[in-house]
Amino acid sequence: MSQRQLTFHIFRYNPETPKSKPDMQVFMLPEEPGMTLFIALNKIREEQDPTLAFDFVCRAGICGSCGMLINGKPTLACKTLTKNLPAEITLMPLPVFKLLGDLSVDTGTWFRDVSLRTEAWVHTNKTFDPMAEEERMSNETALQIYEAERCIECGCCIGGCATANIKPDFIGAAGVNRVGRFMIDPRDERDEQAYYDVVGSEDGIFGCIGLMACDDNCPIGIPLREQLAYVRRKMAVAGWKR
Amino acid sequence: MQLQRAFTQNRKAELWMELVQTVSGLLLVGFLWTHMIFVASILLGAGAFNKLAHFMEQFYLLHLAVGFIILTVGAHLGAVLRRIPGRWQEQKTVWRHAKIIRHQDTWSWLFQAVTGSAMLLLIIIHVFVVVYAGIDAKLSAGRIHSWMLWFYLVFLVMAEYHASVGLYRALVKWGFVKRHSLKRVLTVVTICTILLGLASIWVFFSLGGSV
Repeated sequence: MSQRQLTFHIFRYNPETPKSKPDMQVFMLPEEPGMTLFIALNKIREEQDPTLAFDFVCRAGICGSCGMLINGKPTLACKTLTKNLPAEITLMPLPVFKLLGDLSVDTGTWFRDVSLRTEAWVHTNKTFDPMAEEERMSNETALQIYEAERCIECGCCIGGCATANIKPDFIGAAGVNRVGRFMIDPRDERDEQAYYDVVGSEDGIFGCIGLMACDDNCPIGIPLREQLAYVRRKMAVAGWKR
Repeated sequence: MQLQRAFTQNRKAELWMELVQTVSGLLLVGFLWTHMIFVASILLGAGAFNKLAHFMEQFYLLHLAVGFIILTVGAHLGAVLRRIPGRWQEQKTVWRHAKIIRHQDTWSWLFQAVTGSAMLLLIIIHVFVVVYAGIDAKLSAGRIHSWMLWFYLVFLVMAEYHASVGLYRALVKWGFVKRHSLKRVLTVVTICTILLGLASIWVFFSLGGSV
């Protein structure tokens, strides 16, 4: 097989330099066997332009830092093989999040804010006794919690969501999924009304208009549609009883 | 906590709006499909169509239908207006976003909003025409065999599309469904309902031409 020449169109913009304007810069790179976008971007930065800004940490789809728009699709760059892409590749940073420069965005601030607003931690009045035996949980429940807990907070569901793009306070699929995780956790003592207080609103589950870009784009395949529908039904019942 | 949030802590209204939107939407889908099946009685001949129309007028079902459609469309409109990006900046964002991410269900929502807005006007015209002219196979045939043919063709496609996408979204948001098989089923149903509507229009058109 002859080697392909890849053409990258990469979004360039530095918000720190007020006079600069956003534009798409073109880079050429010969494709290599097993090349991921992680490898390609590092090659471009090493060999062609050391000022190119992008984020990677684990390069194994665990840390969630390399979410970006790859030919428009919000997904993880480290998990994306160039052989699965056409020779023309467009890279843009994830929308919604604060743009730090080029392909690099700050997802952390956004996720921390949503975690605080949705009170995404186990609420309990029990005092922890380190000597006591752990309380048991059914394997089924544990697996359900784990399914939601797999979220790596890469922000692909948020960047792809048109509602999140126009409503800055909308918690999106990641936020709803996070609350759904505590709803099934028996250690959390909150009742349904306490959950309604944090997600039963237009900024929460009732802000979702069902575009399902989150469900189509989650790079690790969390069943976000099911999670959203589950929380929506729960909150409809809770709201009805108010 | 801000002042306005403190005043609106009991947020039942936001759930209510959501329920009004979904329930009125589902009712309108049911109405549309029933309506199109009734109109298709023309396939059995002008006699069958007139008999059905006469029956509906006699028992005030037509009045009931008009009252129902005005109330339900009104409720649906009131509930969905909050979903349509109102500011110019938001409009630019959603269209650009849809172009960038190339996502089918995001595009279908934009078309849903566009067809919905257009249909408000079309529904008003349609209801006025029916209320003032009454229902009769000859009248309908005359209308279809005029420039209004285009009105009905556009209206048919828009209404069936809007209903189909709306039903899909309501089920996806609330239900226990498999999204992709649901989409396939609804596509087939929509094609069938459009074909049924086109068949009725064709019969009216040839009736209008033969007079």
